[in-house]
Amino acid sequence: MNSILICRDCDTVYRAILLRRGDVALCRRCDAVLARYFGANVESGLALVCAAAIFFAIANLTPILSIDIAGIETKANIWFAVRSLQQGWISVAALGLAFTTFLIPALQIALLFWVLLFARVGHRPPGFGPIMKLLHRVRPWSMTEVFLLGALVAIVKLANWVPITAGAGIWAIAGLTTVLALLGRCDPASWWSITPAVEP
Amino acid sequence: MTALRQSLELGLILCRTCGLAVSRASLKEDRRCPRCQSLIEHRMPGSTGMTLAWLIAGIVFYIPANLLPVMHTSGLLGEEDSTIVGGILEFWRSGDWDIALLIFIASVAVPFTKFIAIGLLLLTVRTNSHWEPHQRTVLYRIVEFIGYWSMLDVIVVALTSALMQFQVLGVAEPRAGIAFFCGVVVVTMLSALSFDPRLIWDRPT
Repeated sequence: MNSILICRDCDTVYRAILLRRGDVALCRRCDAVLARYFGANVESGLALVCAAAIFFAIANLTPILSIDIAGIETKANIWFAVRSLQQGWISVAALGLAFTTFLIPALQIALLFWVLLFARVGHRPPGFGPIMKLLHRVRPWSMTEVFLLGALVAIVKLANWVPITAGAGIWAIAGLTTVLALLGRCDPASWWSITPAVEP
Repeated sequence: MTALRQSLELGLILCRTCGLAVSRASLKEDRRCPRCQSLIEHRMPGSTGMTLAWLIAGIVFYIPANLLPVMHTSGLLGEEDSTIVGGILEFWRSGDWDIALLIFIASVAVPFTKFIAIGLLLLTVRTNSHWEPHQRTVLYRIVEFIGYWSMLDVIVVALTSALMQFQVLGVAEPRAGIAFFCGVVVVTMLSALSFDPRLIWDRPT
């Protein structure tokens, strides 16, 4: 374990103490979170990642919203939303939406699954270092919670005009948001110590 | 209680990627973290310059994002181009004040807060201000936290365009404003990510 902690926000140095369940270590100078109790073991982490993968699949295979007018039905999910922005140079917005609500969440799930699967048998997977760096880099760009709020706003916006219904996908997005938040709460520094540094 | 000391005084340095405390003496020529191989710097190089550049880009994008229409609707009620502010006013008039408020916060209040907050942080850091470092750090965390919620309008327009595809009753299509707005979200997030909050606490010696 890391015995010295340095605050990310104000550069103050601390000696680490042992944290109990529910403990959060805060910086005395700027109140930044220095460390959290690391409760997630490999098994529960793996379970959460599997749940995330299932939610992600449901969210993308079932409609999130649908409208039915006199037998003509239109449906929308993340991918349909991205496709609808593909129009001339506006497609750059489609690219932005595809990355933040589809590609990056998918990447997070796949990479965490890869890392935890190997950790389950006590190994570091091939490419562990670059994967951890990549996970750290993409974290601010994962926006499933914003998509959930956007879907709710779209319901209210369109409900005045047309009969709109929410599909199974919206629950899956809510589930995905929750699970990714639980996985993200885990201190990234702790993920490094989840597997032995030396290859057995 | 011992005095609070910064990493430089104790001969340490932080790897911002993996959070490891590294002894400065053990750093080799290439300045790579022994754990994750990322480049380690005492402060993020060129932080204020990058932050300012992205901030200016954000302000520039924000102008067409608001002046240009974000969505075009056509149907039984005629053709209409709507802007972000126009959409908010429409919700307000039709009695959905809560949705109007939500979109106002995400599309107007959040970008403006970011512009002002990042501008203030840059100004105080460049002048080596001693003014309320704790409060300014909190301000930095607020900017980081609210960062991506502005994406809301992009998602609403995309979903509306995906759903409103009824030839006779109504068709909705995205317009250029939404691409600029997406640009505002991305570059202001890059601006916040380029800012090194430790500069708030640094004192010239």
